[in-house]
Amino acid sequence: MAERLAASLARGVASGDRRALARAITLLESERPEHAPLAEELLALLLPRAGGSRRIGITGPPGAGKSTLIDALGTRLVTSGERVAVLAVDPSSPLGGGSILGDKTRMARLAAAPESFIRPTPSRGAQGGIARDTAETVLLCEAAGYSVVFVETLGTGQGEHAVAGLVDALVLVLIPGAGDELQGMKRGAVELADLIAVNKADGATLPAAEHAASELESALGLFARGGEPTPVLQVSAREERGLEELWSATEAFLASGRKSGAFAERRANGLKRALAEAVERTLLHELAPPAVAAERVRLEAEVLAGRLSPRAAARRTVALLLGR
Amino acid sequence: MHELPEGVRLAPLYLPEDVGEVPWLASVPGAFPYVRGVRATMYTKRPWTLRQYAGFSTAEETNAFFREALAGGQTGLSVAFDLATHRGYDSDHPRVQGDVGKAGVAIDSVEDMKRLFEGIPLERASVSMTMNGAVLPVLAAFIVAGEEQGVPARALTGTIQNDILKEFLVRNTFVYPPAPSLRIVADVIEHLTRTLPRFNSLSISGYHMQEAGATAELELGYTLADGLEYLRAGVARGLEIDAFAPRLSFFFGVGMNFFVEIAKLRAARLLWATLVRERFAPNDPRSLLLRTHCQTSGVSLTVQEPLNNVARTTIEALAAVLGGTQSLHTNAYDEALALPSDGAARVARATQLILAHETGVTDVIDPLGGSYFIESLTAELAARARAVIDEVEALGGMARAIESGLARRRIEAAAARRQARRDRGAEVVVGVNAFRSEREEPLAVRFVDAAAVRDAQLARLATLKRTRDAARVDAALEALRSAARGDGNLLAASIVAARARAAVGEISEALADVFGRYEASATVLRGVYDQQYGGDAEWAELKARVARFAGREGRRPRILVAKLGQDGHDRGQKVIASGLADLGFDVDLGPLFTTPSEVARHAVENDVHVVGISSQAGAHLTLVPELRAELDAAGAGDIRIVCGGIVPAADLPALERAGVAAVFGPGTRVADAARRLLELLDGEAAGSNDG
Repeated sequence: MAERLAASLARGVASGDRRALARAITLLESERPEHAPLAEELLALLLPRAGGSRRIGITGPPGAGKSTLIDALGTRLVTSGERVAVLAVDPSSPLGGGSILGDKTRMARLAAAPESFIRPTPSRGAQGGIARDTAETVLLCEAAGYSVVFVETLGTGQGEHAVAGLVDALVLVLIPGAGDELQGMKRGAVELADLIAVNKADGATLPAAEHAASELESALGLFARGGEPTPVLQVSAREERGLEELWSATEAFLASGRKSGAFAERRANGLKRALAEAVERTLLHELAPPAVAAERVRLEAEVLAGRLSPRAAARRTVALLLGR
Repeated sequence: MHELPEGVRLAPLYLPEDVGEVPWLASVPGAFPYVRGVRATMYTKRPWTLRQYAGFSTAEETNAFFREALAGGQTGLSVAFDLATHRGYDSDHPRVQGDVGKAGVAIDSVEDMKRLFEGIPLERASVSMTMNGAVLPVLAAFIVAGEEQGVPARALTGTIQNDILKEFLVRNTFVYPPAPSLRIVADVIEHLTRTLPRFNSLSISGYHMQEAGATAELELGYTLADGLEYLRAGVARGLEIDAFAPRLSFFFGVGMNFFVEIAKLRAARLLWATLVRERFAPNDPRSLLLRTHCQTSGVSLTVQEPLNNVARTTIEALAAVLGGTQSLHTNAYDEALALPSDGAARVARATQLILAHETGVTDVIDPLGGSYFIESLTAELAARARAVIDEVEALGGMARAIESGLARRRIEAAAARRQARRDRGAEVVVGVNAFRSEREEPLAVRFVDAAAVRDAQLARLATLKRTRDAARVDAALEALRSAARGDGNLLAASIVAARARAAVGEISEALADVFGRYEASATVLRGVYDQQYGGDAEWAELKARVARFAGREGRRPRILVAKLGQDGHDRGQKVIASGLADLGFDVDLGPLFTTPSEVARHAVENDVHVVGISSQAGAHLTLVPELRAELDAAGAGDIRIVCGGIVPAADLPALERAGVAAVFGPGTRVADAARRLLELLDGEAAGSNDG
């Protein structure tokens, strides 16, 4: 029964059936223990078909126009023959656990295109602006034949690391005059970004966008330390300007990475990290008794407060796990 | 102290010292600051205009309804257009299949407009038109219809709503993006000022804000802030303030909060006169007058025991009259269910006639003037609305406040709080959450066969397109596009196109070629329900039930709350989405203006358990069965459909046949809807096994 379900879903996904892909993602995301072996079986069947897409992360502060940009860019890509999947992560409420998933209201055109697939996922407490299973969901989309996969996340100031690890290129979307209070977040994100798109380069905000872009460019020139500085592009998702340039710059980044080996290395690192995280998750979250989880929270707080060294906290955690 | 939703605290007794600082006590009606009325004589000379908003089906049917209304004592006309027309689509457009003739009359061209007013002399009847998004082709068709009746433009009287700002804020029947939309408003003001001097170029509307859940102070503040924005737009066009400000009119909703509504209208006049004098220093005192239409509240009507609505409407109408309205629409008692039946429409008209002719309410001007309570409440509401306006102006005006999302968030928060208060029974609605009757008597409501209306319209469009001079139409539409790219007056260009028999949808599309169509993105507030329900046992029990579902199924219950067709009323969609998310559901939001196949695909892709269709405009009967078929065709027979909103009992069997699992009528508590959804899902979960 179990194998049959995984096999029939895998067949459906491989044949491009929308319903099968959607249900496969649900299976992957399921927190029901009986679903785990099914999901594993499904991935095993589809892994040979995965890996073929360009995986593009889109991050940035709220209101930067990430969804609108994906809508405009994705619509162009599908008209030029690409098949585009979008995985968006929306925050779950820490209180009730529920979520509002409104991404498609901002991607109406792309959502209507036959060659697209858009799936928003609640974050369910996962850190870093991506959901637990986003990396594996990308694989399913690839097995279903999507040639470009966008991963859209809210730039929270800490989450960009996690996203950067699972995409081939990370595009940071900024808007002019987002305020000084975002500077800290921006610096961290700016360092991780492979490309920066300054959005809203249109109408009344055009001069401000030009100014912000040139400031960023000169700052990035200082960061570059001999390498190529991160490209900064001005775009208007609303008026659909600068999109060709953004996509060419993205393709150029990917091409140079393929030549230098950085592309393959990044994917390899992403897989290593995913493996390490999965081991950690299994050990600490799934195998550990609840008392250990509570103690871990306490130990982490001690470490963050500077009262305990990470080494000592790790030793105590392992001791607890081993029941010593 | 009793606290109103507005935050106003009411004392049990008002005394002379409560009005000690009220500066207008000695003022008279017809003089600044106009608190007591815009005219010196008010109703003593002539009662308010009895103006019922109506329209359904074809132009002929609405024409017959209009004539009966005029014969029955109505003194002004007010046209309700169907949603296809509002959104600038002709009846033959694939996106409007379920909407033609449903929530208003279908008007595709000058020919339809002429049929609408056949036998109604336009030099005498004043005509109000609720039209905003597609204001250009519709107003153009009206002007040409007048022309062909032999009435010159300068003799036409009436009002065009033309209030696009509140469309972006609450009503959602826009067509183009904000910037070109505001230009269209200014083009209309400019052209009407120059050529239709007796026509009101705007009806600046708070009504829809109240219907969307705004408190009185928000309705008042945002409406007047909209007005200031339009005055600035007119001045920026180079118009003299006194040339166009006197032709701006207003439109407020009047709900069950009796004294607040009276005070609101008095405060509105005070604030408008004060603000316009401060900011624009007009010479003509008529520029300071806030002349207003009022409508009794649609959301105050209940499906349960509909005849109770006659009492509600009467009280609201009395508040509007005591507040000094210039014209009034009274709702029909069956309007929570459908468009008014003939009988219900007669009672609604008679309600006003009884007020005007049997009660003596017209004999004395501003009869509540000088009341300690009313004057003090007027002052307090004015101060609170002024604070709202000042906040908006500090942001750079209402267009900015809407763009920033601030105004929408405020209204949605008020709406969610209000719904939660009702759900908890903290706000009593007789027959709904208190004093419920066990007896239910079915009501015969008006049914419009959208498919038949659409067929009739299609035939007419075909005739129109066959008999007109195609080259002349093409040239006129091209001239319109070129005016849109440049700065030619778009109403003037639309009139030329309408005369050449370009259809409403063709004119709209020509402009969309240049401006694009606007897509709104939706945001939903979080946590409002949780706040209102803190510590409530029923709420906690439902949350636990959702959590149990998640534990058992491996994910939370997931529902897509979608809108089908051209109905842009999204208060219900947002309130239910917000409440369910607070309970722990994962809620997918559907965009506005979607087709059944788009909704089906959305549901399949997001792999939801249930699709909830929020329907306020009657298109569900056509579109929901199609949605079921689309889902089944996609192999998603297991995704359930539920409906909420205005669904008449007569539609239930058809919806049931279409596989609709539950229907939630107006007044359904969010908690009850959630419970029913969980029952549906639990029933399924029990019967299913792995995956």
